[in-house]
Amino acid sequence: MAEIEVALVAVRDIFQDEAGRKSLFSEEYRILSALITLDKQDMAGLAVKDGDKLLVKSEAGSIVVAARASKDDAKEAHPGLAFMCISPWYSQLVPDDGCERISVEATLAPTTASVTAIAEIQARMKS
Amino acid sequence: MQCLHCDLSEQGHRVRLGEGEGEKQMAICTGCSLLCEDIVASFENGSLKHAKNLCRRGHGHFQAALTERTRPLIDGEQVAVDKAIERAAEILKSAKRPLLYGWSHCTQQAQFAGMALAEKLGTTAEVTLDGASSFCEGILMERILAGKISTCTLDDVRNYADTSIFWGSDPSSSHPRHLSRFSYYPRGEKRQRSYEEERTCIAVDVRRSPTAQLCSNYYFRLQSGGDAQFMEAVLAVLDGKIPKVADKKKMIELATILKKTEWGAIFPGPGLIYSLQDKMDLFEQLLARLNEITSFKVVPMLADCNARGFNELLFEKTGHAGSVSIQGGSAAYSAEHSVLAAAKKCDAVLAVGSDPLADLPIGTARALARQPIIAIDPRRSLTTDAAKVVIPSALTGLEAGGTAVRMDGVKINFEPIMKSELLTDEQILVRIMEAI
Amino acid sequence: MVSAMEIYMLLPKTNCKKCGLPTCMAFAVGLLGRQKKVDECTPLIEEKKYEAKLKKLREVMAPLENASETGLIIHPEKCFGCGNCVVACPVNVAAEPTRTAVGLGPEGDKVILRVEDGVVVANNLKECRRFGPGGTQCNACTATCPSKAIEFV
Repeated sequence: MAEIEVALVAVRDIFQDEAGRKSLFSEEYRILSALITLDKQDMAGLAVKDGDKLLVKSEAGSIVVAARASKDDAKEAHPGLAFMCISPWYSQLVPDDGCERISVEATLAPTTASVTAIAEIQARMKS
Repeated sequence: MQCLHCDLSEQGHRVRLGEGEGEKQMAICTGCSLLCEDIVASFENGSLKHAKNLCRRGHGHFQAALTERTRPLIDGEQVAVDKAIERAAEILKSAKRPLLYGWSHCTQQAQFAGMALAEKLGTTAEVTLDGASSFCEGILMERILAGKISTCTLDDVRNYADTSIFWGSDPSSSHPRHLSRFSYYPRGEKRQRSYEEERTCIAVDVRRSPTAQLCSNYYFRLQSGGDAQFMEAVLAVLDGKIPKVADKKKMIELATILKKTEWGAIFPGPGLIYSLQDKMDLFEQLLARLNEITSFKVVPMLADCNARGFNELLFEKTGHAGSVSIQGGSAAYSAEHSVLAAAKKCDAVLAVGSDPLADLPIGTARALARQPIIAIDPRRSLTTDAAKVVIPSALTGLEAGGTAVRMDGVKINFEPIMKSELLTDEQILVRIMEAI
Repeated sequence: MVSAMEIYMLLPKTNCKKCGLPTCMAFAVGLLGRQKKVDECTPLIEEKKYEAKLKKLREVMAPLENASETGLIIHPEKCFGCGNCVVACPVNVAAEPTRTAVGLGPEGDKVILRVEDGVVVANNLKECRRFGPGGTQCNACTATCPSKAIEFV
């Protein structure tokens, strides 16, 4: 099964921010947050296309998100570097000293599982 | 439609408008740390009817006033707000190591009340007082407040800056009106021909963000963590040496721009700060070198509407912008008292206008969730859902007036524009303190 | 923004000249420049074999229907409400030297671009420098947009 390692960097997105201000518990927020942007080469390496699910694992935890190819052209290819919005999904992957790191190391693998729901993230707080 | 969280209808919700309904009102937006003052908003039947000059983010912020509002809860059951306040006071009074976290969406007045509460609790307990910036912008903020890095106001930027550098920041996404109000597009006293002829913007980032896209000519794409190397390359070209980078020509162009700059402004974001962490001295070195040639100032890209107010308050007390412990009547900085460390040792959490369970690393969030949490918040969040006590508060800027400090240190005063019967953060904190 | 070639691929490509132009490519360019309308290609409308192409052509041409006489199109769903275009527009700047020129929201109604309800809206397009036969190729608004929410046909 294809699996790759990436450095994951958190970014802001105005539309995801807007959805979160309406509600952290909405489908819209989940769609825009549980989303990882990958270089086209990494998408090909994993044999996934836009919308396919990926299991993202770091030393802190794991989540299932949707994949999306970045729109960067070939000159600005960034294999090995992936982006997610700042969100409770991203927080699942951040190690406790992760706030002092520039990026989080994560492995990605295609999965048929559904995208992690916010309720699942909330349940994990209690364990 | 029935609000999911309280007995009132969505429309009759906390927004009860008396005189002024339907009329246009001037408002301040507390959606980010730009605190835009030219907003015109009108309400009808408790909803936002029309708004001018709010960016997409600010518009979302104004509309958020009307949904997912909290109500007073203890263990998930609705109670009178006084009971919730009482219970909160009990929990805090009996805690030995309470953590008081958040604060960056509160007015200065509420922050002062929070400090007073922390000091009172500190007479008998070991209190941790911290905000979200202690592991990020706070690092830069401290150096600015200590005078180690020279700064200016955003109005200065608009009036004088001919070079704006967005370093590891993407204001188009985080502070959408930054470029149009201050840093690139508007005319200023010494910049009447503005972006067309007199201003240059430069972006340094690991990706082609929307801001980088606007700075297309001068966009420097770094490897993740490559900021130190980039700074060293800049220092090299400024000294006429060959920079250790792939595109030497572009670097030399950058040196030319920097040397020709009359008045420069740098806006560092989390990208730069996380990358440098303990190498902040290198950034100071670069600034010192630039300031030998010309004038370069730094304005920190704080996210929340009054993050700076909280940093300034802590700095005044301790010389540091975060991670403060208050014990036996004195407040002091301590790395052990950053929220990340304190989470593992605290025995009660007061989360004020913040959502640590969503924002902090999962391990830290779980540690916090093991303790009783008191959440003072106008809206539902992951933290309010997990809290033992929820106290609903008025929204800063919309329902609660006061003062907030813009990212550049300018204090902005505002009055509420929506009538609300909810207590403000300040009132809640004062009542908790009285009950202790 | 759709291209002339993409439009050409949806036409009969017979160069029948019924639209008054010598080639289908010329018609494609005419559609893009809005000097011609889809309905002027009678074979496309009348012959059943072109049904799918006609449908697709109407779809790609739809955004251009909304373009103003200056060719300005706004996609509000992409707009950040950042105000860059409001502050860059030379007509806005001239109309409000103490407001939009210096980064504030406009107060009067002579401006072309303003931000309302979180996104940009356009009015007074007759005042736009691109308007009319003597118009210039001013692109202050499109060049300053971070998200291609405002563009010219």
